[in-house]
Amino acid sequence: MTPGWLMLIAGGGVVAGIFSAFKLPRVWLAATLAGAIAAFAAAAWMLATGVVWNWQPDFVIGGEKLHLQLDGISAFFLILLSVLGGAVALYSSEYWSDKNHPASAPPGRAWWNGMLLNMGFVLLCANGLHFLIVWEIFTVCAYFLITRERQRPAARAAGWLYLAASHVAMIFLFAFFALLSARTGSWELGPMRDHPELAPLFWLALVGFGIKAGIFPLHIWLPSAHANAPSHVSAILSGMAIKMGIYGLVRFTGWLPTPDLSGWVVAALGVVSAVLGVAFALGQHDLKRLLAYHSVENIGIILIGLGFAMIAASHGNAAWGQLALAGALLHVWNHGLFKALLFLGAGSVLHATGTREMSRLGGLWRAMPWTASLFALGATAIAGLPPLNGFVSEWLVYLGLFDAVSAHGPAAFAAILAAIALGMTGALALACFVKVCGVVFLGLPRTEIAEHVHECGWRMRLPMLVLGTACVAIGLVPILFWPALATASAAWQPALTTANALPSAPLVTLGAFHLALAALVILAAIFLWRRVKQNGVSRAGTWDCGYAAPTPRMQYTAGSFAGIFTGWFDWILRPQRHAHLPEEIFPAHADFEEHTPETVLENVVEPASSLVMRVSMAVRHLQHGRVQSYIFYLLLGLAVLAILAVMGGAK
Amino acid sequence: MMVALDIFLRLAAWLLLAPLLPGIINKVKAWVAGRRGPPMLQLYFDLAKLWRKGVVLSTAVSPMHVLGPAMAWVAILGAALLLPVGPAGASLSFRGDALLFVYLLAFARFCIALASLDTGSAFEGMGVAREVSYAVLSEAAIITALLTLCVQTGSVSLATMLAPSAGAGAALLAAGLFGVLLAENCRVPFDDPNTHLELTMIHEVMVLGHSGPPLAAILHGASLKLLLFAVLLAEAVLPLGKLSLLQAIGALIASVFVVAIAIGLVESLLARLAFRRVPLLLTTAFLFCLFALLVAWKGGTP
Repeated sequence: MTPGWLMLIAGGGVVAGIFSAFKLPRVWLAATLAGAIAAFAAAAWMLATGVVWNWQPDFVIGGEKLHLQLDGISAFFLILLSVLGGAVALYSSEYWSDKNHPASAPPGRAWWNGMLLNMGFVLLCANGLHFLIVWEIFTVCAYFLITRERQRPAARAAGWLYLAASHVAMIFLFAFFALLSARTGSWELGPMRDHPELAPLFWLALVGFGIKAGIFPLHIWLPSAHANAPSHVSAILSGMAIKMGIYGLVRFTGWLPTPDLSGWVVAALGVVSAVLGVAFALGQHDLKRLLAYHSVENIGIILIGLGFAMIAASHGNAAWGQLALAGALLHVWNHGLFKALLFLGAGSVLHATGTREMSRLGGLWRAMPWTASLFALGATAIAGLPPLNGFVSEWLVYLGLFDAVSAHGPAAFAAILAAIALGMTGALALACFVKVCGVVFLGLPRTEIAEHVHECGWRMRLPMLVLGTACVAIGLVPILFWPALATASAAWQPALTTANALPSAPLVTLGAFHLALAALVILAAIFLWRRVKQNGVSRAGTWDCGYAAPTPRMQYTAGSFAGIFTGWFDWILRPQRHAHLPEEIFPAHADFEEHTPETVLENVVEPASSLVMRVSMAVRHLQHGRVQSYIFYLLLGLAVLAILAVMGGAK
Repeated sequence: MMVALDIFLRLAAWLLLAPLLPGIINKVKAWVAGRRGPPMLQLYFDLAKLWRKGVVLSTAVSPMHVLGPAMAWVAILGAALLLPVGPAGASLSFRGDALLFVYLLAFARFCIALASLDTGSAFEGMGVAREVSYAVLSEAAIITALLTLCVQTGSVSLATMLAPSAGAGAALLAAGLFGVLLAENCRVPFDDPNTHLELTMIHEVMVLGHSGPPLAAILHGASLKLLLFAVLLAEAVLPLGKLSLLQAIGALIASVFVVAIAIGLVESLLARLAFRRVPLLLTTAFLFCLFALLVAWKGGTP
């Protein structure tokens, strides 16, 4: 079957899903899954064969001919979209079921398919005008998905913030595409690297796509939107929607010439996002907010790779750029997979307990062994630990950076800083996920709500299992995915990739090592388990320094665990602490509360916007609808003009 | 067949020799304090005893409590396979294995941390929080040390990186790596392996809840990690690649002894630091590595 037919089935399935969403949930699920599978097949076909699919019917929308194109980069992102769109749709059929959410579930399904469809079109569009149209529709669909629970004020506020930030991004994208079409005389998109005058447009694209991607100072919408959206929506937002920003950056840095500084700026933003993203994550107590900040971190890792690839491309196509690019692209997949897995796991926890507050949970592994193990798998992957996929992509980025250092080129110093920052980010992410797994799933239940929980059903478990399997597969046999990476990076800047065919030998060895490690880990675990059973096990309470009756509330909390880090990053996290310390000999009341706000939003954006509001309010007094005053303005204006004419000696 | 035999012999050597190192350190400490001290082979006896003992599990723990130590032990063993042994090289060497080495140790830390948090005790929570926090700084120092060796040799493979000496910055690199060694292996002045006050421990408090064979796996893994760092330090500083076979082996063994004695002396002569000073000392180790990197940078490629 040709990709054209597959794309037709994909589009048809998703559209049929929109129509069946309200009355026929089963048909919706089947149609959406069929569409996702068809899109997966088309994208996989493209990545395997490397043949670009072009479709230019005589079909005019908004005065422009439709032009769809599936090349390496589109297919690379489309495959992730199809996996996440399908898997998470299955999850949502149980998580956000008609039974529990009779009012919001049916339209939610329609918005879901609308978003999938338009994200797919964004990936395929090769026309600037159509790109803008589908980009806007996808953004609006996401807004309605985020505000599924609009009876909660927090969800409404989060949706509003998302909508505002997205439209600031939209203004930049309007400017970008409009200027692009004005300079080139056409809305058609394609490689335009031989027009150096287009280079400055990159900055518009960086802000526009950067807001969507959640690059550090532009990420303000991201934490609250991810935290307040239903978990399956958070999964697709974090797994795919923010990747659309990355797609835009990858696409247009590949097609357009870029300014000399651009690579350095992207890499610097990457370093800042990576380190500060994880620092903010450590300060969070809300499970989903924490995961949202990790998206900022991982976008940072992707940008480090992309930035160095851009630097390499502008410095004679150095070989290490190819490695950095491959790492960045693979991290797009990896982050999509493990972050969606983690959000789905968080969704199961929320489904079972009704709270996102980590310090009220604990010991969930007893009732939820599947969720706990799969969440731990995702945590290992996101912390970048071998033998899973997160390590493979970080390893590729590291290799690019180390090669840049040993090449002694102009990028070497920057690469040193980036490599050290990447190392620290990895260790911080490890600490953060030790905290999450330990506080949420291990130990004893801290409150009553954590005691009476239930494991999720198979329709929620299966998607997590699929995503977890994908994480393991990329970790254990990375070489299988190498052709896809090669096709995608060849579509980015052919000059960079043809000059440096990547040796895949280290990747094969790494995969073999990972396989052996995984096998040995399992063997050793079984061996030790049997030995323990053989030696005999006796049970006792946890030893707590001789306390007679320790309570679960004495366990370390998320806040106390991250205390050392929040101390280090106090200067930017600015945690707000409210404490009533115990006083007198028999203290009656004591409490401690700590909250890490969104610093950029509260200390930069909100003061700036309130200033704008105050100025506007002051200016508003000029315009109050009184005719007398308007006549006065007219006379005043005429008088000023007359004075100018007299003094200026008008001819 | 030869490859399998080679790997087997190496693993046997790593596994059998590792518990000797804490014995040497304890002997040095005893000698400085004027005591006779425990026998050199004390850790072997301890491990053998623990392996045969029954296990007391907390009522709070999940299977992770037992599986974690096993996984961590395998990860440290994997790191040992990647580290070249002087002239014999590494059994497995490829581009980028240096980073895998660092991340395997991180994986081990992750597993032990989760196994430890499993007990739900606040003491374990404290220990784990400290361990993973300080690890951020030592990770930065190790990456910097690797970058130094990479600048020096132009390679990202441990076998090539560790063959020549670290050049003019060798002393700086040695100081930095020694600091990391002390922190990562929980020695004085970062942590005191002999302390009996839970509130002030790092590593020891993490394993308070473990007993029997899992504790044996943790202790053996810890001694193996110490040996790994000692060998890494020696190989990073000494030009083992330029020596003949016997000389290289002799130099390696001698320098591991020197490192062990140095650890023992540090533990005997220094008091441990207050916790708020630990990050400062680790930052100092990081800066040593960074200066070594700058020296290597100025020196250019050999």
